[in-house]
Amino acid sequence: MSVDQKTIKTLARLSRLEFSDEEIEKFAPEFEEIIDFANRINEQVSGDTESIREVVTRTVGWEDLREDEVKESLPNEKITSNVQAENGYFPVRRVVK
Amino acid sequence: MKSVISALSAKLQSGEWSSLYLTEKYIKEIERRNPKLNAYVHLTFDEARKNAEAADVMISEGRATPLTGIPFTLKDNIATDGLLTTCCSKILQGLKPYYNATVWQKLKAQGAVLLGKTNMDEFAMGSTSETSYFGAPLNPVDTTRVTGGSSGGGAAAVCANLAAYALGSDTGGSIRQPASFCGVVGFKPTYGAVSRYGLLAYGSSLDQIGPITSSVTDAALVYDAIRGDDKADGTSCPTPDGKTVLRGDVKNLKIGVAKEYFEGISPEIKGAIDNMIAEYERAGAQIVEVSIPALKLALPVYYIIACAEASSNLGRYDGIRYGYRAKNYTSVDDMITKTRTQGFGKEVKKRIMLGTYVLSSGYFDAYYKKACLLRKTVESQMAEAFEKCDVLFAPTAPNTAFKQGYSGGNAVETYLSDVCTVPVNIAGLPAISIPCGVDKNGMPVGMQIIGKKFSDALVLDTAYYAERENLSLCADVEGGVKL
Repeated sequence: MSVDQKTIKTLARLSRLEFSDEEIEKFAPEFEEIIDFANRINEQVSGDTESIREVVTRTVGWEDLREDEVKESLPNEKITSNVQAENGYFPVRRVVK
Repeated sequence: MKSVISALSAKLQSGEWSSLYLTEKYIKEIERRNPKLNAYVHLTFDEARKNAEAADVMISEGRATPLTGIPFTLKDNIATDGLLTTCCSKILQGLKPYYNATVWQKLKAQGAVLLGKTNMDEFAMGSTSETSYFGAPLNPVDTTRVTGGSSGGGAAAVCANLAAYALGSDTGGSIRQPASFCGVVGFKPTYGAVSRYGLLAYGSSLDQIGPITSSVTDAALVYDAIRGDDKADGTSCPTPDGKTVLRGDVKNLKIGVAKEYFEGISPEIKGAIDNMIAEYERAGAQIVEVSIPALKLALPVYYIIACAEASSNLGRYDGIRYGYRAKNYTSVDDMITKTRTQGFGKEVKKRIMLGTYVLSSGYFDAYYKKACLLRKTVESQMAEAFEKCDVLFAPTAPNTAFKQGYSGGNAVETYLSDVCTVPVNIAGLPAISIPCGVDKNGMPVGMQIIGKKFSDALVLDTAYYAERENLSLCADVEGGVKL
């Protein structure tokens, strides 16, 4: 299975990661090797692997849900304690013009 | 093996030592030995002294539990309010969480003493602890070798007597495999038996917190102290009331041996495990051959599911609310991309990319969905095996601790070292790794005892037989706090 550079660039963009052309060149064969490894799920094994068709979905009934109660949340100062907060907000560069 | 926790606790209860005295002994040893071993990445000695003082009050007031006043460590991916928790990643540089993980809350209430946070593979992604941003910990048994991973620092700390016990996390073997490499005990409880609240997520459907200790008795004591239902973790479940009783009763116990677990295992390891099985048989256990053909699918299924979950879980690290933020950027999107590119290590990036790939349209059905179906197959074939036996015996790893630098080689070859441990995570089962002799280089061999869901007590009790009969001996390393 070959993974071309374009696919890697697309995946990187989706993952919010950057790779230089040089890094991609190095990364491509490694990534291909891992995809080959993932392809081992197509190996045949004895025993029943096909009849289990219901996808793992868990349906939760309304009665399983907890009451929607208002509870105390963490104070703003604590939540923002890991950044240089500005007026209780997380500072980022302007996103609207 | 003997219970370090019980022995220390007896000294504290009798008033021979205070918890503060014991804590200072550990601190001194950590200061002396940790610069070389690199087991701890963040030291919390101020917290430890505060915890010890509180524990001494509890003891004097007659409110002590088995863990009161006993110094221990947490893996660096378990949240501690106001204390560094960085997953050994640059991207979480300087992060001090604002809440406590449930396990730490529970232990703190019982008077436990937190010495520090231990080294691990970055975001728990690895089998040698070498992907840590802080550099690898060294195996105390032979410092030219790796500790295993990802909870390598915790295993090294317990092995070197630099903590009475450690809490690690196990997504694909990260408690059991380092325990086996360092010659100590590592217990991964049933998925849901211990709350994951405050465990920084890697693969949420696989992650489980558990103890690394120097005896099965200690593993049971710590397990009892941290288990149980938690409202803050929707996947947690109630566990039986009362303490886990260890009798070591193995007469008529049905021990399953699946040949698939022994394919590609070094003859030395197979021999050590065969010997242990023979000891159990002599004690009256019945050996049953079982077959689990889907085991060979477990490893690729694991990597697909774990990486898919990781790519989603690690999406939150954007540099906005905590941790590292890139310096020069042109927009918010650029800031996020640069932060992640500079903040994540190579292995983490690789797994995020694989996870994104198997979840992307066009590949979702072929990989992620198929892996979920095959996960069910592994689970049901293991359940079928447990219709014929009570527990399974298997190797913990196909090899003993390798030399440092091995994981720099072929990625897939490194992944293969998890072949014996991942099926348990895939199926959500409890499993313990106990020491089972040494290889020709004197490196510890580990054996797994696996049970069906919520048979944690039976798994511990089965392992206890080997401890009681001195068949399972932990590595004896010089230095540290010894009795």
